[in-house]
Amino acid sequence: MPTIELSHVSKVYRTIKKDSGLRGAVKALFRPHYVEKVAVHDLSFHVDAGEVVGYIGVNGAGKSTTIKMLTGILHPSGGSIRVLGRDPHRERVANAREIGVVFGQRTQLWWDLALRESLNLIANIYELEPARYRQLLAEFAQTLELEELLSVPIRSMSLGQKMRAELAATFLHQPRVVYLDEPTIGLDVMVKERIRAFIRDQNQRNGTTVMLTTHDLDDIEQLCQRVIIIDAGSVVYDGPLSTIKQRFGTFRSIAFETAHPLEIEHLILPLGTAIASHGERALEVRFDRTVTSASQVATALMPQIEAIDFSLAEPDLESIIKQIYAGTHTAALREEVLV
Amino acid sequence: MTLALRRKGRLYRSIAVMTFKQYLAYNLWFWVQLLGQILMMTVFVFFWRAVYAGRGTVGGLEQQQTITYILLAQMIAPLVQWGQILPMGDLVREGMIAIELTRPVDLQERFYIETLSSLGYSLLQQVLTVGLFARFVFHLQLPSDPAIWAAFGLTLLLGNAILFCFDWMFACLAFYSTEVWGLHVVREGTVMFFSGALVPLVMLPGWLQSVASWMPFSQALYTPVALLSGIIPAAQAPQVWLVQLAWLAALAVGSRVVFRLAVRKVTVQGG
Repeated sequence: MPTIELSHVSKVYRTIKKDSGLRGAVKALFRPHYVEKVAVHDLSFHVDAGEVVGYIGVNGAGKSTTIKMLTGILHPSGGSIRVLGRDPHRERVANAREIGVVFGQRTQLWWDLALRESLNLIANIYELEPARYRQLLAEFAQTLELEELLSVPIRSMSLGQKMRAELAATFLHQPRVVYLDEPTIGLDVMVKERIRAFIRDQNQRNGTTVMLTTHDLDDIEQLCQRVIIIDAGSVVYDGPLSTIKQRFGTFRSIAFETAHPLEIEHLILPLGTAIASHGERALEVRFDRTVTSASQVATALMPQIEAIDFSLAEPDLESIIKQIYAGTHTAALREEVLV
Repeated sequence: MTLALRRKGRLYRSIAVMTFKQYLAYNLWFWVQLLGQILMMTVFVFFWRAVYAGRGTVGGLEQQQTITYILLAQMIAPLVQWGQILPMGDLVREGMIAIELTRPVDLQERFYIETLSSLGYSLLQQVLTVGLFARFVFHLQLPSDPAIWAAFGLTLLLGNAILFCFDWMFACLAFYSTEVWGLHVVREGTVMFFSGALVPLVMLPGWLQSVASWMPFSQALYTPVALLSGIIPAAQAPQVWLVQLAWLAALAVGSRVVFRLAVRKVTVQGG
C-alpha cells in the first residue's frame, strides 16, 4: 500500500466576486455572484514509504492546495485521497497524529513562549513519552544547533533560527509522513545546508516519507530522487530527477559577445540550433547536443559575427524547469508520462 | 485507560499553563485594563448611590445589595466580555487555522481548556486587585458561609461553560465572514447587558427579564453573582444548577454541530 495515494483529485474554490466600491459590496451581500476557480484538476500520483519527493510548480499551480488536502485541512471536491490508509479529511485528528507539516510562511510554535516551552507543549500534544522526548530534544538541539535558542521566545528569533526551531517541532513526534511547504524560503546558504542535512538524516534513519515543495532547485537536487511537476493543477511530469536532466539536459547554450552590433535577421543558423536571446552586442544560441556540437555551432557562427568573447554554459536544472514552466516541453512531457 | 487519562491530563495541564504564561507576557495590558476597571467600578458606585438618593429600594433591592451586586458584577465582567470570535477570526484571517487543524487535538477542546485557564487567571487577578480595591474603598461585604462560596464557584464554572459553548458557535461565524470586529462589538454589547454586568437583571421590566432569561448570558454572570450577593437565596441553588445543566447540554451539542459544519466551510475558504 502506498503511503500517499491520490486518485483523480480535484479542488474547486467557490468565491464571491464583488464589484468594486460600496455598491458592489452591498450587491454581493444580496445577490452574490459566485466564481469558481479550479485549483487542482484530475490529480493522481502515489508516494511510497521512505521516498523524498520534490513537488514543484509555479506559484498558483496547486501545490499548496494539494498539501492542504493531504493534511486534511481541505476537503477535495472530487476524487479520493489516502494517507497511511486513511481519508485525511474525515479522520483529520488521527491523521494529524502521524504527520508533520511545515508551512514555510507560518509558525506552529507559540509566538510569546520560549522554544523549550513550545516544544514541551508539542511533546504533550503528541503524547510523547517523557524519556523519549528528552532524548530527541537533546539530539535535535545538537543537529539543528538549538542549544542557545531553547530559552528564546519565537518572536525574537531570526528567520533561520525560526525555521530550525520549526523543523525540530515538526519531527519531534517522529511522524511517518512530513510535508514541507517551502522550508528554505528566504534563508541563507548555511542554514539551507543545515536544514537539508537534517531532513536527509531523518529520512535515512527513520524512513520518514517526505513531500517537499520548493522554488529552490538546490533543495530538489540535494534531497529528492523523484520529482513531480504540476502545472495548472495537473501533473506534467512524474519521475526521477535524472530523466529530466538527461532528456532536457541535451540542450546547451553558447553565449557570444560581439565587437559590432548584430544583424540578427541575416544570421544563418546551423541545424539543431535556435537563438535563445540576443542583445545589441550579445547573442545566446541554444543547441541540441544530439544533433550538433559546440564546435560546429561556433565554426558556423564565428565567420558571421565578430566575436570578442564566447562561453559555453551547462544548463542547470533551473533553466530546464523554466522551459517546462514556460510550456516548451509540456507536450513532450505529457507524452512521456503517458508512455 | 488510566494511561490515556494521564496523558490527557498532562496535555490539558500544559495548555492551561501555557495560556497562563501568555497572559503574563502582556504586563502593560494588564495594568491598563486594571486602571480602566477601577475607573468603571467607581463610576458605577457613584451612579447607583445617586439613583438611591432619597429612596429605600429600587426594583426591590436595597442600596447595599445593589452596590454589592454591581461591585461583584464588575469583577466578573472581564470573564464574559471577550468571547472567542476575535481569536478565531485571527486564526482564520491569518491562515493559522491551517496549523491548528493539523494538530492532533480537538480545537474546541483546546479552546475550552484555554478558557478555563483564563477563567482561573482572571479570577485570581480580579480578586487580588479590583477585589481588594472594592473591599477597602467601597467596603464590599461578602458572605462568610463556605457553602455559599462553593455554590457560587460551581455556578460560575457551569455558567462559564455555557457561555463558552455559545461563544464557540458564534466564533464559527469567522469561517463564513471576515468581518469579525463588527460581530464582536454586537456580541459584546448584547452580552454585557443581558448577562447583568451593568444592571441587576431583577430591576429590568418584566418583558425584558424574560428576554434575558431566554438568552444564555445571564448564566455566566448574573446567576453566580446574584447567589453570592444574596439576591438569589442559597436554597435555590439546586434549581439554578438544573437550569444551567439544561443550557449546557443544549449548547454543547449545538456547538459541536456548528463546528463540524464550519470546518467543512474552512475547506472552501482556505486557499
